[in-house]
Formats: sequence, structure tokens, C-alpha cells
Amino acid sequence: MRHKRTLWTGLAIAAISVTFLAFTVAPAGAQVKIRFQTWHWGEKPWVNALEAFQQEFNKANPDIEVVRDESRYADKETVYTTQSQAKAAADIAHFQHRPIPLFAERGYLMDLTPFIEKEGGQKFLAQWDQHALEVCRYKGKIYCLPDFVNPMTLLYNTVHYKEAGLDPTKPPATWDQFLDYAKKLTRAGRYGLGLIGARQEGLFMRFNPFFWGAGAEYLTPDGKHSALDTPEALEGFRFYVELFTKYKVVPPGVIEQGAQEVRTQMAHEVVSMNIAVPQAPGIIQALNPNMKVLEVMAAAPLPVGKKRVTAAEYGMRVISAYAKNPEAAWKVYKAWYSHDIQLRNFKIAGVLSARLDVRSSPDMANNKFAKVYMSQAPYAKLEPLIPEWPKIGDAIITAVQEAFSGVKTPEQALKDAHMAANRALGVQ
Amino acid sequence: MSSGRAWHDRHLGYLFVLPATLMLVGVLVFPAFITLKLSVTPEGGSGWHFTLAHYQNAFRDPVLLQTFKNTFAFVAWSLVGHFTVGLGLALALNQALPGQTFFRLVALIPWTIPDVVAGIIFRWILNPIFGCLNPLIKIVIPSFPAEFQWLSSPTLAFPAVIFANVWRGYPLVMVMLLAGLMAIPRELYEAAAVDGAGRLKRFLHVTLPGLSTIILIALALDMVWEFRRFALVLAMTGGGPGTLTEVLSTLVYKTYFQFFTFEYASAMAILMSAVLFVLSLPYIVLVGREQ
Repeated sequence: MRHKRTLWTGLAIAAISVTFLAFTVAPAGAQVKIRFQTWHWGEKPWVNALEAFQQEFNKANPDIEVVRDESRYADKETVYTTQSQAKAAADIAHFQHRPIPLFAERGYLMDLTPFIEKEGGQKFLAQWDQHALEVCRYKGKIYCLPDFVNPMTLLYNTVHYKEAGLDPTKPPATWDQFLDYAKKLTRAGRYGLGLIGARQEGLFMRFNPFFWGAGAEYLTPDGKHSALDTPEALEGFRFYVELFTKYKVVPPGVIEQGAQEVRTQMAHEVVSMNIAVPQAPGIIQALNPNMKVLEVMAAAPLPVGKKRVTAAEYGMRVISAYAKNPEAAWKVYKAWYSHDIQLRNFKIAGVLSARLDVRSSPDMANNKFAKVYMSQAPYAKLEPLIPEWPKIGDAIITAVQEAFSGVKTPEQALKDAHMAANRALGVQ
Repeated sequence: MSSGRAWHDRHLGYLFVLPATLMLVGVLVFPAFITLKLSVTPEGGSGWHFTLAHYQNAFRDPVLLQTFKNTFAFVAWSLVGHFTVGLGLALALNQALPGQTFFRLVALIPWTIPDVVAGIIFRWILNPIFGCLNPLIKIVIPSFPAEFQWLSSPTLAFPAVIFANVWRGYPLVMVMLLAGLMAIPRELYEAAAVDGAGRLKRFLHVTLPGLSTIILIALALDMVWEFRRFALVLAMTGGGPGTLTEVLSTLVYKTYFQFFTFEYASAMAILMSAVLFVLSLPYIVLVGREQ
């Protein structure tokens, strides 16, 4: 009996010890693993560029291993926030411009200033698009380097243009002309334009050109109040919404359509025009390998309203404040931002590098799509990068959806968004 | 010697449950404590300064109030659907028919599909351009609009989400009720038949009383689970059009991860937990009574 008890006690202690050891002792191995997080691991053709970098770097640096870490476009911030709260975020992560100040404020991001100083400080930084670099600065520190700068342009199907009696070499120059083109392109089973109405940040990249093009702004010049109550704001908002509700040049189900759905519609010739990022032709080609995208598609600057303006997507990569091997992370980071890798990323994925020496390369300057996109970079504008933006943006998306679905008139929806934006800004 | 044995008898059990206890503290108690603490921490604050401002704001927040209403409607209709479909299928699958096992397995399939996948599947089924539902309806009703919008419609988006949720969740209720049906003694039905009771009377006076406890437990459990339903709604509509299909779990998610107002989101989560606790009381009482 006593032996039995001793045996059980021994077994219990052994089980607890094994459990403890399993949780605390890391497997042997001197190699440093750097988790490289992006949603592009699951997206063609981007994944080809990432895998080429991963293999090349790992081969050249046996002491460091770049490890694939997947996020999803829609919840990349959620994943990173959760990981950061647990102090276990990916070493290098990929975002657009919007969350950078929020993450920096929360202490999730590593201050890159000391590394940059070692690389030559201002001379090193001068290699990048200075407007995009501004997004990386927060309270005097630098938290990222811009990876790519993607202004939005009009991507259109030249075959559809010809079928509708439109000259593919003369894309619409004004918004009125744009509407006229969209109407002519709309016929049985095909729509003039693909628009986004889904609750995702990509909506702003399509909505903003209409909104800003009408002369509207989100905030008053002092940045303290909502400016959604101006006639210009209503004009831009109403035009965007009425493309669907009144003119019916947008496919049904606009509220369900995100960027990828619209690209799918473009790939399958359901829509003829799309306000698109530079990598869109490559993605459309991957979605429909039978389409001769290079021949069929063309890009043009967005039509001009009261002023020439376009929206942009800035791609940023950050190093986590909780990276266990900052030096190794910086080594990977620096390699990713090198001229050759950035140029290859353009060749594979079609994104416009924020590195100025890559942008001036003949490969980019002679590319049919890239040269149009690059010409629009000077007109690129971003939404206000303030901590209250997520709430304001959410109110605007809600208003867009309410107006699209007819729950409210455009006037009422925008009025409610204006009040919600002011509440977010703390205006009584 | 005997005191050593007594120590063993008293403490050996604790040693065995220690790993599980530590795990529970780590994954349940600690996060719950952190959430509770965050809910009474001033926005952006840290340390041990407390406020009830987030709770005051929550009670005044019209969006939260509307979302509570949406959630109650979502839960109520889901329960009705789960019970109706679950009971109907349980009765059918309790019959001695050829292929009974096969049909039981097929009926369980929706339960094996993750929420988020079910949400994406239904989003595509209902897609006005690429979806398969509209063409199918059009075969039966030729005048039906080919590009009918389900999820963009202010009146149909919510029922569509509930329909998807009923499809996704009925197998749980069905399995529980089927187990209950199989436990009802056959002699009771035979005795009722001898007494001249027809199908309806046997159902009302034998089946339903025999299932009453199981029905209550199944619905109580289902209610708690549906109250927390998240991924299906997020994947199907993201809460839209506007906020028409917003439920509490998606609102808490948005407030925490998109607005970065951790403290207010935590207060919402605590309120949600309080409501869930009240809703789970019938289950706790029933289980306690059974034991």
C-alpha cells in the first residue's frame, strides 16, 4: 500500500516536472529566428517576392532564419495588438500608414533612430520618399521606413472602352466625364465601375479621391472639429454614393465588396473601371491567367475635380519593441529595404518602392503602369493621422453603407457621421 | 507513520489537479482579472487608479444600447431556429430508417465547419453576382431578380445572418435532443398507443415531457453560446449595412482592436459577461438540480 502511494507521488511529481520543463526550456539551437509578418504571404504574386527574399537571406546568413509569419489584411492590426499586449509580437511586421502613430504611442514599436544613426543618419534617410517618411516620425523618433508608396489611379479595360465607342487613349479627365464613361460602359451583365462599400480601410483609398476632389476635408484647418458638414463634403459623399444608388453604374452588393472582390470583378470583366493600386494589374493577372492584362488594361490619372488629388497606400514595416534580437531583426530589415530587393519586389509584385534610387530605375520608368502611378505620387494625400481617426473613419464607413443601402439619405447619413466625428474629437 | 499516510490522503489529490488549476488560472482567471481592472482604469491610464466612467458612458451609449437590442434579437431568433430545425431533425433521425447512421453524420456537417468559414461560405452563396442562390431561385421563380442583394438590404441582411447561424448551430441542439429521444423508454409509447393515443398526442404527452429537461439545458447552453457569436457575423457582414447587424461581440472587438479604446471595450465586455451570467442561471440551476 505504502509502495503504491510512493509510486503515485513519484509519478505526479515527474508529470509536473515534465510539464514545467516543456514550457520553460527552449529547444537547443544557436540560430536566431526572425518572424517576418505580412498578409502578403497568402497573396499572389507577392508571395513569390517574399519567398525569394526568405530563401536568399537564409542562405546568405546561416546564423539567422527568416520565418514566415502570416497575418490577414483585415485583422493585421488586431493580431499585432494582441501579440504586442502579450509582448510576443512578430519581429518585423507590415502595415499601412494608419496605425503607425497609434502603435508608437502604445509602445509596440522599436525606435529605429539608433540603427539609422549608425547607418549615416540623414544621409541614410535621404534615400526614401520624404513625404512617406514623415508618417514614420512620431514625437521626434523614427519607428519605420516606408516600403512602398502606392498612389491610386484609374485602371480600365481598353477592350470595353472600344466596345462602348470610347477612345482608350482618352480616359476621363473630369468627374463629369468619368460618370459619362461609366454610364456608357454599363450594359447587360457589365458595370462601368467597381466601388468598395465593405467595412475595410481600403474604402478610403477609393472614397477619398471623390471626397477631396470635391474640395472637402475631414477636419477643420485647426484639426479640432469635423468638417463633414460642409457643402463640399456632401457633394463628394453624394457623388460616391449615387454612382450606385442613382446612376447604377456599380454592380449590386456594393456593401459586400472589398478591394479583392472588385479586382475579381475586373478580372472576370464584370466591371470596366476601378480605382486601383499599382499592384492591381498583377493581382488581376493572377486571378484570371487567361486575360492578357498588359494588353487589355491601361492606367490613367484620376479625373480632376476642384483640385487634382489622389489617395495613397503607404506600406510600412516596423520592428517590434519586444524583438528579442534587435540586431538580427535590423539585419533582416535592412536587407529587405536594399535596392536590389526593392527592385525585385517591383518586378514581381508591381509595388512602387519608396526608395528613390529604385523609382528612378529604367525598369520602373519604362513600365506601362508604373510610370502612370509614379506621375500621381506628388498628388497623393493621406487621411488625418490622429488617434481619433479610427472612430471617425468608422463613422464615415457606417454613413457610406447607410446611404448605399438606403437606410438613410446621403444628407442624413453624413450629418450623423459629422456628429459622431465630433464626439470622437471630444467636441461637446 | 499514520500521520504521513493521512497527509498523503489529504494532499495527493491537490497535487494531481495542480497543473490543471494553474492552467485555468492562467487562461481564465488572469485575463478576466485584467479585463476587470482595465474596465475601471482611466483611458490611457495605468497602475491602480480607478474610475467608473466607462460604465457610466456605457449606460449612456446609444450604439451600445442598440447593439444589445440587436444581440437579443439575434439570440432569440437563432434559438427559435435551432430548436425548430434541431427537434424536427432529431425526430426524423430517431426513426428506424435505412441509412440512419449516414443521415445522422450528414446532419452534423454544419457543426464541423468553423464560424468564420461558414460566414465566408454564406457571403459567397448570397453574393449578387458570383453567388449560387439567386440563379437557383431563378430556376424556380423566373421573374426573380438575377442580381438580388441579400446582405446589402436593410431588411434582409439580419434575417440572412440569422439563417446562416441557424444552419451553423442546429446540430448541437439536434444531437442533444436525439440523445434525449433515444433515452425515452419505448414502453411509454406502446402504452400510450394501447390507450388509443395518436401521433400528436404521443408527441405532446410522451415525447415533450420526456425531453423537457434536455430542451431547457440545450436552449440555455445555446443561448449563452449565441450571445457570444462573433466570427460568423464579422465574416458575413462586418456588422453592416451601417450597424444593422452589429452584435455585442463585434462591437467589443471593434472598440478594442480598431478604436484602441481598451478600457471602454473592457467595460463593455464586463457588462456582456454580466448579462451572460444572468442568462446562464437557468442552466446552472437545472444542472444543480439534476445533480
